Amino acid sequence: MAAWIYLTCALGSIACAGLLIRSYWRSPSKLLLWTAVCFACLAGNNVLLYVDLVVTGPEIDLSALRQLASLLGASALVYGLIEEVV
Amino acid sequence: MGSQMSSPWAFWATFLSGAVFFAFFVAALFFRKFAQRTGDRFFSFFAGAFTLLALERISSQMAAVREAVGPATYLLRLAAFALIMIAVIDKNRRARVE
Repeated sequence: MAAWIYLTCALGSIACAGLLIRSYWRSPSKLLLWTAVCFACLAGNNVLLYVDLVVTGPEIDLSALRQLASLLGASALVYGLIEEVV
Repeated sequence: MGSQMSSPWAFWATFLSGAVFFAFFVAALFFRKFAQRTGDRFFSFFAGAFTLLALERISSQMAAVREAVGPATYLLRLAAFALIMIAVIDKNRRARVE
């Protein structure tokens, strides 16, 4: 059950990233670009989540790497939002 | 997850998770402001999604929840991704109609 949740998270985040990248391709805007970058990083985070909790054993801990991927994505988005306002 | 708590990376994972929470929270506030300013529900969906992602960061770090609920906290993430997909599809549909 848990593996299905993690897999669905990974697929969902990849779908979001794909939709946003396609939206940016059709109508380029800086905010869309940074949002797409954010969700690409979140997709990486969710793929690492699946790998960490389902594929690899407890001796390998990818939690810090996962959080780093999320932080990179979130930071890119916050940067884009500030750029939009300033 | 229990073994990850004793991992040397556990401190960094927790520290970075807090930073991620704050970034998502700030993003939600920005999108909420954009929604108020423009009246566009696209930004409201995004504000809701990032609020859910911020809440998911809190719930996944709560020790008691981690033990009792485990992977169910990731359903908050799924809900956030669903909101994002709805927002983009809705926006594209409205653009086609116009």
